[in-house]
Amino acid sequence: MNIIKNEKVINFSLCFIYACLIIFFIAHLPIVFISVLTILCVWNFYITTTNKSKPNAWLANILAGAALGLMIYSVGMSDTVILFVAMLLLSSIFKLLQAKTKKHYHIITTLTFFSLSAVYLFNQSIVTTLVVSGLYILNFAVLGLLESKHNLKVTSKQSGKLLLLALPLAIFLLLFLPKMPAFWQLPGPKLAKTGLSEQVDPFDIAKLSNSDELVFRATFNKQSPSSPYYWRAIVHDEFNGNAWLTSDFLKYNNLHAQELNADYETKVEYSVIAEPATQKWLYGLSFSTSNTDGVQGNALGLLRKKKYQAKNLQYNVSSVALNQTPLSPRKTKQYTLLTSKNNSKTLTLSENLKQQTKSDREFYNALLQYFVDKKFTYTLTPSPMSGDDTIDQFIFDNQRGFCGHYASAAAYIFRSAGIPARVVSGYLGGELNQSNNTLTVRQYDAHAWVEVYLESEGWQIFDATAVVAPERLNGSLSQNEELNDEFKSNLDFGLVSLSNFAAINWLRLELENLDYQWASWVLGFDDEKQSDFLKSIFGSKNIWLVPLIVLLTAGFCFIGYFVYLNWPKQGSAKLAPMVKEYYQIVSWAEKQKLNISENLTPSQQLQYFAVHLPQVAQSINEFSKLFNQVRYEKKPFTKERKTHAKDLIKLIKTSKQRKL
Amino acid sequence: MQSTVTAIIEDLSGVIFGKKQQIKLALTCLFSEGHLLIEDLPGMGKTTLSHALAAVLGLSYQRIQFTSDLLPADILGTNIFNSNEHTFTFHKGPIFSQVVLADEINRAGPKTQSALLEAMEEQQVTVDGKKYSLPASFFVIATQNPLYQSGTYPLPESQLDRFLMRISLGFPPKEAEKRLILNMQKRDYSMLPKRINEQQLAEIQTAISHITISSPVIDYIIELVNYTRNSNAFAASLSPRASMALAKAAKSWAYIDGRDFVMPEDVQAVFASVCQHRLGLHNESGEAQVNDILKAVLVPV
Repeated sequence: MNIIKNEKVINFSLCFIYACLIIFFIAHLPIVFISVLTILCVWNFYITTTNKSKPNAWLANILAGAALGLMIYSVGMSDTVILFVAMLLLSSIFKLLQAKTKKHYHIITTLTFFSLSAVYLFNQSIVTTLVVSGLYILNFAVLGLLESKHNLKVTSKQSGKLLLLALPLAIFLLLFLPKMPAFWQLPGPKLAKTGLSEQVDPFDIAKLSNSDELVFRATFNKQSPSSPYYWRAIVHDEFNGNAWLTSDFLKYNNLHAQELNADYETKVEYSVIAEPATQKWLYGLSFSTSNTDGVQGNALGLLRKKKYQAKNLQYNVSSVALNQTPLSPRKTKQYTLLTSKNNSKTLTLSENLKQQTKSDREFYNALLQYFVDKKFTYTLTPSPMSGDDTIDQFIFDNQRGFCGHYASAAAYIFRSAGIPARVVSGYLGGELNQSNNTLTVRQYDAHAWVEVYLESEGWQIFDATAVVAPERLNGSLSQNEELNDEFKSNLDFGLVSLSNFAAINWLRLELENLDYQWASWVLGFDDEKQSDFLKSIFGSKNIWLVPLIVLLTAGFCFIGYFVYLNWPKQGSAKLAPMVKEYYQIVSWAEKQKLNISENLTPSQQLQYFAVHLPQVAQSINEFSKLFNQVRYEKKPFTKERKTHAKDLIKLIKTSKQRKL
Repeated sequence: MQSTVTAIIEDLSGVIFGKKQQIKLALTCLFSEGHLLIEDLPGMGKTTLSHALAAVLGLSYQRIQFTSDLLPADILGTNIFNSNEHTFTFHKGPIFSQVVLADEINRAGPKTQSALLEAMEEQQVTVDGKKYSLPASFFVIATQNPLYQSGTYPLPESQLDRFLMRISLGFPPKEAEKRLILNMQKRDYSMLPKRINEQQLAEIQTAISHITISSPVIDYIIELVNYTRNSNAFAASLSPRASMALAKAAKSWAYIDGRDFVMPEDVQAVFASVCQHRLGLHNESGEAQVNDILKAVLVPV
């Protein structure tokens, strides 16, 4: 059995890596399972610190069985990706708890590489990338520690260097390697938090939890249009009594967007980078079309992904005003259909308004005025409502709610008055970064509003929230002062919640900017961008040069390395084995202001160093022994001895730094 | 075997106080199958050391006190006419012994001296045209008074060369001398335990001949030797025999130190003893000069 010198350090490092991983996966795994992992991690940390013995095989197996059962119970079998990730984490941490031999630790470090890579299934932002890279370095360092007698610092430096060396290769591969489609794909992980859902059913929600997760970023090509920005994602056209749903007709009958002869003065062009999501819907202002592959528009001016894709998607959009062509009778029927007539008070209200007004436009204004007059308020913590007449309860009893309530109620009123209306889910506003004309939209910007078809005017946006909480219209919720406190009180602690401090706000915006660049230049570097890039270098006619260049570059690299290895070195090659290493130590000692006396034999000189620098005495004595073996004992200068000598030199050099 | 060597050194230190270095050098010399010349003033413990050495090594031992009227035959032996058998029979002299202590060698005349030295070199004795072999392990430990003393015949340089090493004991440290005075009763060398036998000695010698000497150390020896050849400071320069002697003594020194390879330190340790007499240096001034050589010649890394 191999005795590992740095077992404690190795164990702590791995424990740290897994602790970070647990933090990464907190949002994606059930809290029960996360606590199991945390307990195991803490346990491992505890027995390592106190040098207690590791659990024996029996206990560990029983525990592992129990944990596995709990995992299947809490995670469930439905989402295989999550299940696999959970299994990987659980097995690695259990293995760490039991690890005794070098072989065990080798297995764990190997597993850790997979566990670390699994983070990218859920998040690919630049912060994640940096953190995961750091953990990669640590894992490589642990691997190095297993095989050498260095300290963690030395091996970390080495693995950091290793990763830096790999960087040019990675860039080269990113730029030139053809982007091939995946051979096989796992179903993407299902994201738990999202601001939108297939149905708008606000009435049973007691507290809207704000998530500051990024949804997408939009960059306007020219001047950004004036706010408010209504980012449309889903249209709900069917009311089932409580909730607004997307009818199958809209869901599956995706007619392609017809070319609109709308006035092009309102045309806005921009590009959007959507964060990975399992849903197909994408985001656009008013009536949107896109010329990007993989994105299709439909007759409603909505954009959708053609395929499920769990990574960032960048697409170009051009938006024009909503359709103003007259509705066909069938469509009118579709948009005025109410299957239930339970909310009798609301129906009466609608009736009254209808009688008081002459046109659709007047009805529209009267309804807005109604919300103002009755002093409806906006809240993120409405009281839940149930039963068949939830809209009645909202309009006449509670009069407090968030966008979903207003949209549901308004659409119901419009429809009952015979005016075509539909509920639209999407995002409102976003945070505009003036410096790069980029709008950042987060989950807490999620919104729902009504699109209503007014006679002779076409589709118009009706947003009761606009009159109830006008501040909500412009800018992001985070920039809204009145709602800010309420907003922050139910937001997870994060940079956004600290945006009162100018410096932190600045930092947050800078980080977002950086993340945007990352998303657009690295994550969004797809085959289309790649071919554009290559064309810009080689010209479109000489695209055949690309594989040639790749092969030649690779070839030159290998030949260069080969030549470098075999190049007759000057000076140093004439030195006998170990002599170079000895001189390294001597010159190091010279820098430490030790006397170098030429009359001393090497061993005496080293002895002198050891006496005067007691903190490295052990390493120096070891080196001296090695030197004698190779120099005087005629032992072969094997690779093992060579690396040992190098290791010792590094140890000697770094230990001095540590002392400083 | 290593522990035996340590024990021998301990035993000898119990006889010659405070002279561990000299004891080790003397052992080095014997292990290297070389002859030892101990040079010092009368009363410094030369004879004591040689007695003790022979006793501890468990070898047959003869002492010859050299005087000005000592003749070669007195050492080698003579043919004596046997009147009964009408033949000459050879009567072996005291040299037919494993350890010969030639006390005050420079008091004998040159003729006698060369007889001894010839025997040392050839490992055999020729008397009246007939050859007689000397024992397999044959050591001569010669003691000599410093040359300026009256009634001495200095050994010629060519013959000094036959001795692998020349050591001098020097005055004892104060503490050692105190002990010496306290234990003033007559010392009985036969009381010293015999640590090794002839066979074991042979084993040690074989082991020493197998000790590794690597090229950097050989380079160092050659550098040292060449330095004396190119320098004008010395009456004589070191011969190839000297460099071989240096290598051999360094091996033995390494062996006594418990290593199976030679380091430059070993060469430095034996250098003075091996080379001083070969360079025609006197004891007192010689030490400084030899140290100058060691300082001037850098140790190759």
